[in-house]
Amino acid sequence: MGNILADNINRRSKRNKRFKGLIISGSIITVIPIFLIVINLIIKGVRQINLSFFTETSPDTFQAMTATANGEVIPGGIANGLVGSLIMVLLASALAIPTGLMTGVYLYENKKKRYASVIRSLTDVLQGVPSIILGIIAYIWIVKGVTRGYSALAGSIALAIMMLPIIVRSTEETLSMIPVQIREASFALGVPYYKMMIKVLIPCSFSGLATGILLSLSRILGETAPLMLTSLGSPGINLNIAKPSSAVPLLIWDFYNDPNMVSMVWSASLFLMIFVLSLNILSRSISKNRKYI
Amino acid sequence: MGGDRITKGLLFSSSLVLLLLSAGMIFTLASGAIPAFREFGGRFIFSSAWDPTPGKEQYGALAFIAGTMLTSLLALIICIPMAFSASLFVSEYYKGTRIASVLRSLVDLLAGVPSIVYGFWGFYTLRPLIMKTGLSDQGFGIFTASLILAIMIVPYATSLSSEIISMVSTEMKEAAYSLGATRREVIFNVVIPSAMSGIVASFILALGRALGETMAVTMLIGNANIIPKGLFSPGNTMASVIANQFGEADGLKMSALIAIGLILFAITALVNALGKVIIKRFA
Amino acid sequence: MKKVLILLVASLVLISCNNSGSSKTVKNKNVNLTAAGATFPLPFYNLAFKKYAEATGVSVNYGGIGSGGGIKSLRDKVVDFGATDAFLSDEELVSMSAPVVHVPTCIGGVVLAYNLPGVTGLKLTPEVIEGIFLGEITKWNDSKIAAINKGLTLPDMKITVVYRSDGSGTTYIFSDYMTKAGKSWAAKIGTGKSLNWPVGIAAKGNPGVAGTISQSAGTIGYIGYEFAVAQKIPAAYIANSSGNFIEPSLGSLTAAAATDIPADTRIMLTNSPNPQAYPITSFTWIILYREQAYDNHSLANAEAAVKAIKWLTGPDAQAIATSVNYAPLPQKAVEQASKALEEVTFNGTKVLR
Repeated sequence: MGNILADNINRRSKRNKRFKGLIISGSIITVIPIFLIVINLIIKGVRQINLSFFTETSPDTFQAMTATANGEVIPGGIANGLVGSLIMVLLASALAIPTGLMTGVYLYENKKKRYASVIRSLTDVLQGVPSIILGIIAYIWIVKGVTRGYSALAGSIALAIMMLPIIVRSTEETLSMIPVQIREASFALGVPYYKMMIKVLIPCSFSGLATGILLSLSRILGETAPLMLTSLGSPGINLNIAKPSSAVPLLIWDFYNDPNMVSMVWSASLFLMIFVLSLNILSRSISKNRKYI
Repeated sequence: MGGDRITKGLLFSSSLVLLLLSAGMIFTLASGAIPAFREFGGRFIFSSAWDPTPGKEQYGALAFIAGTMLTSLLALIICIPMAFSASLFVSEYYKGTRIASVLRSLVDLLAGVPSIVYGFWGFYTLRPLIMKTGLSDQGFGIFTASLILAIMIVPYATSLSSEIISMVSTEMKEAAYSLGATRREVIFNVVIPSAMSGIVASFILALGRALGETMAVTMLIGNANIIPKGLFSPGNTMASVIANQFGEADGLKMSALIAIGLILFAITALVNALGKVIIKRFA
Repeated sequence: MKKVLILLVASLVLISCNNSGSSKTVKNKNVNLTAAGATFPLPFYNLAFKKYAEATGVSVNYGGIGSGGGIKSLRDKVVDFGATDAFLSDEELVSMSAPVVHVPTCIGGVVLAYNLPGVTGLKLTPEVIEGIFLGEITKWNDSKIAAINKGLTLPDMKITVVYRSDGSGTTYIFSDYMTKAGKSWAAKIGTGKSLNWPVGIAAKGNPGVAGTISQSAGTIGYIGYEFAVAQKIPAAYIANSSGNFIEPSLGSLTAAAATDIPADTRIMLTNSPNPQAYPITSFTWIILYREQAYDNHSLANAEAAVKAIKWLTGPDAQAIATSVNYAPLPQKAVEQASKALEEVTFNGTKVLR
């Protein structure tokens, strides 16, 4: 009897250790590509990054050609792309984050309803729509319909549609993990519905919500295809959302297609990555400073 | 309570936004796709012909449907063990430690790489690597595209999964431990079942991302408008052909591309519904 | 969180202020024009319009979304003018709601770039090119290639053809030439922006093809001339209609336009009869509506657009083109372009007075 028990425990403990080893090696394999990519970007792109990279607009092909011929750093920078991306991302977030959060809460509160599962399915489907199709849609609705021309507004709408499903689903799933007792305790105390949402649900799930929002931001910061059909691009800084605007991924595409500016591709990409990393670190530190979960 | 009703009404109307958006999109796509369906009828979905030569145009979506399904499913299969390991690492084994946040940030970084950069990196670095292994002549193909897709969708699967896993109630886990369970047993018997819904949701999210990915795939898949013959032969996906041909397309071709977009919409819906059926069976 | 937002807004303001002071930015004075179209002339247009803005204050926003995108944008009237590498066909002209004027702006060439270690100065004839792209000639040391390259040692290597995966004006120009100069090309492959290629691998964009060729030995493909120059990829000498093997250069590209150009400038310069001409050449055009008073289009925009396009065909802009490896328009084409622009009216009155 004692032997069987000991064997059992031995076997289970071996399995346990093996599994842990598997998990650790799997995690290492998962992060290897990011090292490869980052090292690649740094090697190819760090040369171009200096202060003017952030304050000057994109160079033209002649400047690039002469600079490369002389072995110098290409002048100019991505300022027009930076401002354009910032404006469009802010506008897209203003549209998508409140709508996404509220829809996520709605789905969480009405899990059993038929209507809710329809919305949920639609959200999942929306997630799979290729970004270029969203670009086509925004072109037809906004570029042709509203602004009668390429515009940053059209770009923001395409980006907002891309953000929506990620925020909705991660909100709903995160809220579902909150122990139902917390919610019920709040009701038992007579707290009005909206207060319960703002003061209880959202703080409890803050980390998960932030993850969803961050994921959606990371997604749209790097998208090119929809912006080509909506905001088109611009050589200068443009603050008018009814007019075309540049964006960092658009610049990356322009650099790629220009025979002389390929090295700018790597620096712009490196910048984008560092930006996303900083966003991540920022949101983690905010989550940590909160008092509960 | 009046206030409650207002709140509930507000929540409901935001869900309407999604409904109207999807309906609008389907309507716009359908109107654009009608000329193609009128010309080719139902044959469009099942034909793998693709001849854009003006004068004898023939379009059919089958080659792209096959390419999309193959690459996305393969990408998901490759992604699952990676995402699983990473989320368990972060939310179970090393939860709360420095190394866990480092790992999480590293994985999140993967999400921050623009898809176009994945395309470049794949083209300039991954492709030569695959050529070296001798498995493929030029490095283009279904496998290369699936590999890059897998890397791209890992952060989506991991992020959400680890959040969900970390929220599994400690009392349940401690109850299992107090019964003498090993860590692995707690994970398989307590953590995963209670987090199952969220985990599957994260994989569906990842799959959705894979189905619609354009730029990275288009640089690595070889853009052969045929049904792929093998794992390492070139092919094409629906998103990629739309991205490639949309700039120059017009008339019937444009309509064919929009029709493909509509089909992608439908396939994503189908795959998702299938996923839900699978959850119900396992839950 | 608030601090971050303040920081962001502050930097936004800082950057915009900094740039309105510097001469490098585009000034937002009076008119802002939007244009979209071909990617081939994108580097030239961006550079030219930048200089134009510095000189006149009129800024032109050009998006390289592809010739088809340019045509669509003009048809949808969401741009002031479009740009295309292939002139509008008769059907396309009908689909535009009003008559369209074509203005050529520069000349581009398509070269056959190759990667053969140790080999430069490769010569090709249309028959050989056809054989390669149809998969009939499969090895570099094939007798047909060797016969026209008597001074070169060709390796015993498999030929890998590289073509464009995306719809492209470059493909159109190349296939148009081969249809004219080849024997079975018209039947087996044809002319178009996107074709069914019997052999080879696909790559996206000029950079994709150029990159694939640079990375793999034994490859051959067609790319824009400016790419071959910028990335130092060897380009073959092609036998033109007079039988001379011509090296692609700015001079031989411009020579292709020394021929009769119709009044509406819609002509393909491929297979030019000029004995000094490089055979795979083409104009790139700007397209705009002949009658500029449509929808919400203003007279100010119309005037600015026509003036800008006229400047683009003028000596200053053409010198800019040459400086970045785009072949300038010959004198006759410049005259045709001016004549075409004079047709443009606003509510019946000519815009250019």
